[in-house]
Amino acid sequence: MSEERALLKGSAELLLLALLEERERHGYELAKLIDERSGGAITFHVASLYPLLYRLERRGLISGRWVEKPGVRRRRFYRLTAAGAKVLGARRKSWSEFFAALTRVAGLRHA
Amino acid sequence: MRDWKTLVRQRLGSFPVTPSRDADIVDELAQHVAQHHADLVSSGLDDADAMERALAPLADRERVIRDIARADRPRRAAPVPPPTRPGHLLADLVADARYAVRLLRKSPGFTATALLMLAAGLGVNTTIFSVVNAVLLRPLPYRDPSRLVMIGERGSNGAGNVGYTTFLDWRDRSHGFEDVGLIRSWSATIVPDGEPERVAGMRVSSNFFRLLGVRPALGRDFTPEDDTVAGWHVVVLSDSLWRRRFAADPAAIGRPISLNGLAFTIIAVLPPSFEPLLSQHFYQPADIWAPVGYDTSLPYACRSCEHLKAIGRVKSDVSMEATVRDIDGVQAQLRREHPADYGRSSTMTLVPFAEELTGSVKPALAVMMGAVGFVLLIACANVASLLLARMARREHDLALRTALGASRGRIVRQLLVENTILAAAGGAAGLAIAWWAVPLLPTLAPVAIARLSNAHVDAGVLAFSAAASMATAVVFGLLPSLRAARVDLQATLHGDSRRTSRNPTSAARRLLVGVDVALAVVLLAGAGLMIKSVGRLLEVDPGFNPSGVLSMQISFVGPAYTASEAVVAKTDQILAKLHELPGVQHVATASEIPLSGNGDCSTVHIQGRPSPSPADDPCPERYGVTPEYFSVMQVPLRSGRLFSDADTAASEPVLIVGQRTAAALWPRGDAIGQHVRVGDPDNGPWRKIIGIVGNVRHQELAAPPTMQMYTPQTQFTDSLLTVVIRTESDPSSLIADARRAIRSVASDVPVDNVAPVEDLVSRSVGPRRFVMRLLELFGAIALLMTAVGIYGVIAYSVAERTQEIGVRAALGATRGDIVRLVLGSGLTTVAIGLIAGIVLAAASTRYLEGSLYGVPATDASTFVIVAVVLFSVAVLAQLMPVIRATRVDPSSALRQE
Repeated sequence: MSEERALLKGSAELLLLALLEERERHGYELAKLIDERSGGAITFHVASLYPLLYRLERRGLISGRWVEKPGVRRRRFYRLTAAGAKVLGARRKSWSEFFAALTRVAGLRHA
Repeated sequence: MRDWKTLVRQRLGSFPVTPSRDADIVDELAQHVAQHHADLVSSGLDDADAMERALAPLADRERVIRDIARADRPRRAAPVPPPTRPGHLLADLVADARYAVRLLRKSPGFTATALLMLAAGLGVNTTIFSVVNAVLLRPLPYRDPSRLVMIGERGSNGAGNVGYTTFLDWRDRSHGFEDVGLIRSWSATIVPDGEPERVAGMRVSSNFFRLLGVRPALGRDFTPEDDTVAGWHVVVLSDSLWRRRFAADPAAIGRPISLNGLAFTIIAVLPPSFEPLLSQHFYQPADIWAPVGYDTSLPYACRSCEHLKAIGRVKSDVSMEATVRDIDGVQAQLRREHPADYGRSSTMTLVPFAEELTGSVKPALAVMMGAVGFVLLIACANVASLLLARMARREHDLALRTALGASRGRIVRQLLVENTILAAAGGAAGLAIAWWAVPLLPTLAPVAIARLSNAHVDAGVLAFSAAASMATAVVFGLLPSLRAARVDLQATLHGDSRRTSRNPTSAARRLLVGVDVALAVVLLAGAGLMIKSVGRLLEVDPGFNPSGVLSMQISFVGPAYTASEAVVAKTDQILAKLHELPGVQHVATASEIPLSGNGDCSTVHIQGRPSPSPADDPCPERYGVTPEYFSVMQVPLRSGRLFSDADTAASEPVLIVGQRTAAALWPRGDAIGQHVRVGDPDNGPWRKIIGIVGNVRHQELAAPPTMQMYTPQTQFTDSLLTVVIRTESDPSSLIADARRAIRSVASDVPVDNVAPVEDLVSRSVGPRRFVMRLLELFGAIALLMTAVGIYGVIAYSVAERTQEIGVRAALGATRGDIVRLVLGSGLTTVAIGLIAGIVLAAASTRYLEGSLYGVPATDASTFVIVAVVLFSVAVLAQLMPVIRATRVDPSSALRQE
């Protein structure tokens, strides 16, 4: 895996975990939120989002469940697990340190 | 509303995961695409563009499938198959094996069921084979055993007995033998301090051990000087007798020992490895050997005194056929020289030791091997069926691998490795079963089967088990592998073959269920016929009443009992003492009682009816009894009178005959009052027939009554006797008292083989009961496996057809319709299997004929019962799946479409 892709994947996981920290969401909602909040800079489509979600679920960081309500097609909602919350905390910290370093070294400025 | 699931499915096909997970993934992706499309439309795109954009990410089908399948939860994802590297066959096989083990561990239900069936199938096969191996295949423990033979005139039981003088002529005039020898049964009563003990023994010619190729472990072998009238009071002991009675003391050699009241000298001890097989064939394993010690001057050394068995070792450069021809010529010559001494003419025969010892158990063992073979086939059919079901679930995975470049050969090889691992594990478990079960067999066997106790898991058994396991892998793996090689790529990846009701996998599995049923019919029919035979046998009227009778053997041997008067007097004393015991109604002795051993016969010569060939005169079995014998055994008097105390050595010699003897020899019904000579036609007293009693089944319950006659113990005194006691209470409660009573008046008389006569009766059906028990066991295993097989196929087919059933239910099918739909297809298969099974059973139960009694091998009522039992089990096995089918909810079943 190229460095760029690894970086991207790491950041994508951070994004998903962070969004699920707020509340349960289904897959499309996650993709839409990322798209909106990044102003279109980061997009997930159906073929790239679900492998990520399934992998996170497999690692026990998130857990999905089907919710069936009258009149609506059943949907799969994902929520952050306790393990996921822990990993999210650690990721936030390392990304912050990473950005701080980048800022110092490369003169980046926070958006 | 647009069917997004179908749109997604069309683009992606199926994921290599379980069907339900596959459905969930497609569902979730379809949701996503649908919502994306809706958002795009509401943002102003037209429908077609929105469609295109929403579905665009799915264009790279293979990558999407791979990414998602890899990311999905591991228990649902297939392990990644090892890559193929040309030229690395061994490494590939190891990788395949690892992969296979991972796959098997991933479906514990399948693996456990398959292993259980294979272990049961291979276990019973290995167990029975270890018996066959020990009894039939392993060479006898003698030097060059294939050349050792029994020699004699062809009789109903192989080679007949021979008289001493005849034997000497065979030895001197024949050319085919390296050496010939004699054996006869013998028993020795050791009277040490305490209770006298009777030890089974053999009298043998001095070259006996050399003939077999056995050397004593201690002391010296017999010499020709020992084998004389004056010199034969020397004995060789078995290792176990030496350890038991002489504490393994090497100084026992040369020590005197009192046997049957006579002084003997111990000259040798045999090695512990020596197997006394020939004596086992007579009665029980011998523990003591003495020389024959005859010469031609003895009265019982005559040509017609046929109580010895001749054995020989055929020269290594002479064929069996030539040796038979040669000895046959010798015997024909003897017949010409001594016409009066030989009976009806017969040819000579040589029976190899192996056949003599185990020939009689061969058919039963063949039946057992056949039965366990069927059990294994049923196990194979079931495992094949399980594999096919698994294959249907794995088809997507296999198709995907093929699409990704794996050759069909590679995939089939992977499956073969899996099957081999499964079979090897089943074989190992089967071996464990055999290792546990084999030592139990001798304790279950009703009769002493020569060499059965030697059965154990050895290299031969290991080899058999390995070969059987591999053959099993081929048999059960064949159909699934063929199926795998034919997986239709396009149909599997695009279509949805699992939802159709008639896919080829189902058909193959139904065929296997049919095979299961057919094989189970055969086993159950065999078991049923045996159960019926044993039942019929126990219903047979043996001609006497065994219940409430205790039997015990006593023997009067030694100098104190050389005179008949002494034996008679002591017998009277013993009987009187036994009479005093509480609850005893009648007491008697007999030279032999029914169902306890060989019925010796004596020729009878009728006064006033000269015989052209006295040796060919009728030969009824003779039983020497005391007066109360007929009351004890409740043998009915048909006419005339029974023996009484007035029939003494001094009174007129009398005889009682059985009905069959009376009818055969005096068809006009005038037997009573006739006079006959027993044995020697020219000498001895004429005995008057005074009564006719009912026939008795002496040899075995299955054999029709033979010709019988009875002599009073006072006039024809036997010294090996069986005491029979009729009591009001349970005969076994009398054992200790009876022993004590005998010892109080005859401390030098050993008491052996104490048993209620009813035990003798049930022991006499023992061999059949043993076959019956084993067939019952195999039948039960077969029935269980068949039930599991039927359940598996029907349950799977219901799961497979959930949608179809849902559609039918939605279209108005009643529960009854659905039950008929599911049950109908299953029961048709079962019915076809039943018919095939009955045909197969009719063809194969005839191999059981020798063990059957009173039941034809194709007994219709047995077959009907078997069919009913199997059919009922088949219906029961389908109950759960059928109930599940009637509970299918039409809406949820349809929603998945």
